[in-house]
Amino acid sequence: MSTSIRIPICSRREHLFGLGSSLGALAMTDLLAKEAASPLAPKKPMHNPRAKAVIMLFMEGGPSQVDTFDPKPNLNERHKTESSRSAGLATGFRFYVGSPFKSRKVGQSGLDMSDQWIHLPEVADELCNYRGCQAESLNHPEALFHMNTGSRLGADPALGSWVNYGLGSVNQNLPGYVVMSELALPQGGSRNWSNGFLPAHFQGTRLRPEGSPILDLHPPGNKTRKHQRQALDELTFLNQEHAKKHPAHSELSARMENYELAYRMQSEVPGVMDLKDEPQAIRDAYGMGEKHTEKFGRQCLMARRLVEKGVRFVQIFSGGWDSHDYLERGHSSRIRSVDKPMTALIKDLKERGMLDDTLVIWTGEFGRTPDNNRRGGVYSLGRGHNIDAMTMLLAGGGVKKGAIVGATDDIGATATESIHPIRDLHVTILHLLGLDDNKLTYFHGGRYKQLSQFGGKVISELIA
Amino acid sequence: MRLVALIAFFSVSTEGLTALTNPEQEGEALFSLKVYPTLSSKCFSCHGKDPKKIKGQLNLTSREDMLKGGESETASLTPKKPLLSPLYLASTRDHEPDWSSMPPKDNDRLNSNQIREIKRWIELGAPWPNQQRRAMYTAKERAKVSTSEGILIETSGGLSEEWTYRRYNPEDLWAFLPLKKTAVPPGSLNPIDAFIARTLKETKFKPAPQANFRTLIKRAYYNLTGLPPTPYQIYQFRLAWDKNPSNAWNKLIDELLASPHYGERWGQHWLDIARYADTGGYSNDYERSNAWRYRDYVIRSFNNDKPYNKFVVEQIAGDEIWYSQQPDQRNPELLIASSFLRMGPWDPAMVKAPQARQIYLDDIVNAVGQTFLSTSMRCFKCHDHKFDPLPTRDYYRMYAVFAGTQLAERPVPFLESENLSGLEQGRNNTQKMLSHAKNKHNALYKKQESAAREWFTQEGRDYLDENSRRKLPDKEKPPRHVGLSPEEQGRMKVRKQDEWIWNRRMERYKPMAQGVYNGPDPKTLNARAMRMPKSPGNQPPPQSHILMGGALNAPGDKVSPGVLSALKLPVTTEGDDPYKITNALHGRRLTLAKWITNSRNTITARSIVNRVWQHHFGKPLARNPNNFGSKGGKPTHPELLDWLAADFMANGWKFKRLHRIIMTSETYRQSGTHPAIKKLRNIDPDNNLIAYREPRRLTAEELRDSLLKTTGELNPMIGGLPVSPEINMEVALQPRMIQFSLAPAYQPSRSPQERNRRTIYAYRTRGQPDPFLELFNQPNPNNSCEQRDSAAVTPQALTLLNSQMMTDRSIALALRVEKEFDTLHLQVKRAVQLAFGRVPSKPEWERLKQYVSRMHDYHLTHQAKPIHYPKSIVRSLIEELTGQPFEYEEILPVFDNYVPDTRSADVTAETRSLADLCLLLFNSNEFIYVY
Repeated sequence: MSTSIRIPICSRREHLFGLGSSLGALAMTDLLAKEAASPLAPKKPMHNPRAKAVIMLFMEGGPSQVDTFDPKPNLNERHKTESSRSAGLATGFRFYVGSPFKSRKVGQSGLDMSDQWIHLPEVADELCNYRGCQAESLNHPEALFHMNTGSRLGADPALGSWVNYGLGSVNQNLPGYVVMSELALPQGGSRNWSNGFLPAHFQGTRLRPEGSPILDLHPPGNKTRKHQRQALDELTFLNQEHAKKHPAHSELSARMENYELAYRMQSEVPGVMDLKDEPQAIRDAYGMGEKHTEKFGRQCLMARRLVEKGVRFVQIFSGGWDSHDYLERGHSSRIRSVDKPMTALIKDLKERGMLDDTLVIWTGEFGRTPDNNRRGGVYSLGRGHNIDAMTMLLAGGGVKKGAIVGATDDIGATATESIHPIRDLHVTILHLLGLDDNKLTYFHGGRYKQLSQFGGKVISELIA
Repeated sequence: MRLVALIAFFSVSTEGLTALTNPEQEGEALFSLKVYPTLSSKCFSCHGKDPKKIKGQLNLTSREDMLKGGESETASLTPKKPLLSPLYLASTRDHEPDWSSMPPKDNDRLNSNQIREIKRWIELGAPWPNQQRRAMYTAKERAKVSTSEGILIETSGGLSEEWTYRRYNPEDLWAFLPLKKTAVPPGSLNPIDAFIARTLKETKFKPAPQANFRTLIKRAYYNLTGLPPTPYQIYQFRLAWDKNPSNAWNKLIDELLASPHYGERWGQHWLDIARYADTGGYSNDYERSNAWRYRDYVIRSFNNDKPYNKFVVEQIAGDEIWYSQQPDQRNPELLIASSFLRMGPWDPAMVKAPQARQIYLDDIVNAVGQTFLSTSMRCFKCHDHKFDPLPTRDYYRMYAVFAGTQLAERPVPFLESENLSGLEQGRNNTQKMLSHAKNKHNALYKKQESAAREWFTQEGRDYLDENSRRKLPDKEKPPRHVGLSPEEQGRMKVRKQDEWIWNRRMERYKPMAQGVYNGPDPKTLNARAMRMPKSPGNQPPPQSHILMGGALNAPGDKVSPGVLSALKLPVTTEGDDPYKITNALHGRRLTLAKWITNSRNTITARSIVNRVWQHHFGKPLARNPNNFGSKGGKPTHPELLDWLAADFMANGWKFKRLHRIIMTSETYRQSGTHPAIKKLRNIDPDNNLIAYREPRRLTAEELRDSLLKTTGELNPMIGGLPVSPEINMEVALQPRMIQFSLAPAYQPSRSPQERNRRTIYAYRTRGQPDPFLELFNQPNPNNSCEQRDSAAVTPQALTLLNSQMMTDRSIALALRVEKEFDTLHLQVKRAVQLAFGRVPSKPEWERLKQYVSRMHDYHLTHQAKPIHYPKSIVRSLIEELTGQPFEYEEILPVFDNYVPDTRSADVTAETRSLADLCLLLFNSNEFIYVY
């Protein structure tokens, strides 16, 4: 048996749909979109799906469970007393840190939320708070890679790539996997949304928040669109002359068509990103125009628009959650930056009837410790990295509403119920999308690889 | 448990199981040898092994229990009636929903043989011999080396007997078997042609005709140097070709092999496999300041035609050889060579030291396996190899070889052969950055300390500086960061990190190398500075173990350092095990390296000639150069591969000789078109027959280098400190998170002369790839790259049309042809000639001239704006200490007296219109493909 693990020589169609790190096939015509040979053509799910799309709000740095959704009165009582826990690498004197925030029950369902969440209680009854997930890597990039790709190495395909590999893209004019971040990339950079060993078409496409949304999208300022058209016509002439001499070379025409696609993208991408046609009330609801929520609000609104247009997987990275010190200031400000926009997102999705089949996930790469070591020689009120407990929110897409799933111990140090590793979360997300992790495999490096690496379990407690 | 005689020559046994005439015996044997092991590995874990964890109340560990059934209350087994036996039905996975597929995980599914065996066993009445009888059948079977089921391979032994005694299809083991000595088939002058022709003959197709001289010279130039020939070189070659094609071709190959650019091109292939980068990756992405010396060592080795066996030994054990040399005779280059062992991504930050060590050792074992032995070692780290005769014991023997290998930046004097230009200037530039960071840091520190002083005074205590007061109770010292606003706290952290970064870079200019040494595990690891202890001692490393499931906390059997036993190549004749290596601290790696380069090692020479072939033809003979195991692609021409490997070893493991043999073959010189291409593609879509030449797109480095060569901007200097070409400015200045804060901005080298070096010299940061190179598939250096991708994706078109880099090159070419020729007529001709290596056809020429004229009119009314470089930038960052955004200024001193490339705004409408043409030429397929 001779098995090739490499991507087979691409058909002409595959070149056309090649996305690379940009919007690629954005301007695909209907005619081409209907042809089935595209690796991005929509595929039937393996079983009845509960969700069609995912919006993942990634809180880079690791939000603290006890200061957001998993309050621990016991911990507050122990504030500044010596901790006997050994945590991670830290050695020496450790002390407990009570939460600087008050918690209260919100919604009909009585979810716990710290008082820093001002808007989110409005949608509490849509949310499922999961407390049982455990991470595996203590350091940011490895943990980010793990949550995003199922492996700490940072070379494997991202969750969003697997989803697109499994389901294809509904809208052939947009990439199936879009990533938005702050201007600074999260730790580990673009490896967090890489296609890994899957074909390049499944790579996440980053829309840059400033400057050109896609690098080199537009010609230099002194060249007009008409100028570019003339250049392309001339290039076509040169390439046709060349193709006459190389009739056997099949890649030539694909490359020529890429230029036409590129040309059309230049006018289409800005249209997708232009939020001007959204009503002012919507933009206000997302917190656009307010200093603290402008960026994340814009991205959340973009996420809704993208999903509306058929994008499968949208990820928004929001950094700054790594509160080793000054937890109160740090988390308060971070919560403030996402609270209003994500509330608006969930409401907006619901009002449009999209929430039922859109899975929204709010998570970090790990949780935080209930205690801290002395930093700089003083009692520093912050928290370290914690892989034994974390907290996340899920909404829509077939998960329970107004529910708390899993539990942590009395100080939020470690998960005690519904304990699952990250791979189970991944398997569950795939499951909700109608994909079976064990069947969603790709032959590479001598074996059939899957997102969970070696298989995992669906977290059935999360599913409505 | 060790098997004795084995694979050498065997006749395939006809005595399979089915040959047993007695159905009872057949059933018992089938059960003992096949069905029971299947049940045991696939079913028992949920159905009987642990009585507390039985699923569906179904126990399958005895015939009685099977007949009893589980919660469905149906017997799992109806003897003689497989179709009434749920055991069989569930295993077929075809009987849902009546019987759920078992085992539940698709990846655990039984293979068709196992399903057939269960069926047959049931048909035979499902006999269940006791353990003793099963053992009897097993022993009888294991006495046969070869049966219709395959052959046994003796290894150091698996974790289970089933594994140790499993059988292999000899075809899958080609790489573990000795090279086959095959006589070169008659009829051709070149042995390669003879082997290729023999296979092709069977298909009745003829090889493609020979390519023309113009195609050939371009092919040879790119292949051996990664650069295009100049029009003059083509002209000269044509003169020689017209006189005597064969002499001209041979001479050309000799010239190119003698060119120092040869080492740059072939060194790049090696660096792809070795995972070269100038930083260490992960969160800190610390610079490996002296990695460039390893890059130059590789280039030098190729240029000097260093025998491959020597090249291998130096990279695996250069430091051990150095250590064994007389102190005054030591060759420092050997220490640089061992930087190979430092090439993988690694950073121990936030990982406990033993785990950080394990991550390193796993990485290096896999790197050595993939690079030199075309074996993916990861596949048998946690268990015995699923498909190949590689027990996990052998993984941990190799692991033990590196148990004493420690990482350090070591002092290594500069060599005469090294290019040290720019050292002084680089040091000064770095010093400027370092001083800036230090000054800013000190100012903030002073502010903090004056507030601290005030606090102490108010409290009536004596002032203590930050370090001295660290251990005091909170009440006896000022708050942390006293006197600093949240913004200043953030800035303090950035400056501190910058200080580390620039301090590290200062090491780039010191005579040091990223090296290794033998010694005990250091207590703490920090990638910011890895240093060798004064006296590492001679103590052998602690006893190594198999780590069960790859887990540090699950040590299994003890293991000694050793090699892969399945290759049947002993390292010693002493002791009980010929595959064990010395247990001493020193010499473990050297022994391994010598074993790898032993001429009877069945993989090493095949591995490297396969790679060389790959880079001449675009495809390797064995399709997975990093994996020769049963799951890798089998060689299309196994006899040719073996002949090349044997010839390579017999003639001193020399690359240049191998290149000559390959390139002087008619197979290499074939044209890209074939008279019967359509029919040929029907029977052979992958061109396994090598009946014609396949074109290839330029690699990222070739593309950039060719642009610079064509415009005349390329600085052809060989070797030296890494340079920083201009990259997309948005990316260069875009903030990038590293461990504690933002990384400093990317600053290009100051002058075109410094920037426009070959791409192999471009500074390579794992965390910040050059977007242009990445787009054209420069591989991610975190993984060994066995073959480059060349997928054509749309963003490539955007970048080739619109990027600053491409605009700059098009203007440079326009300026060049304007300088060389006066009339538009000749300028257009020259541009085409430089870009394509040919003159334009009449219609092309006319049309392109008209285009330039039209564009001239356009540019008369469209002026370009000048580009300004920022001398500093203001960064904004959300500080994790406080959750507040803060700003700080970063200086970019390189732009103080920067020499930019000539820009659109600097040139006339004439030049810009000519540049429009040049840009098109660079975008065209003719420029970007090699035939």
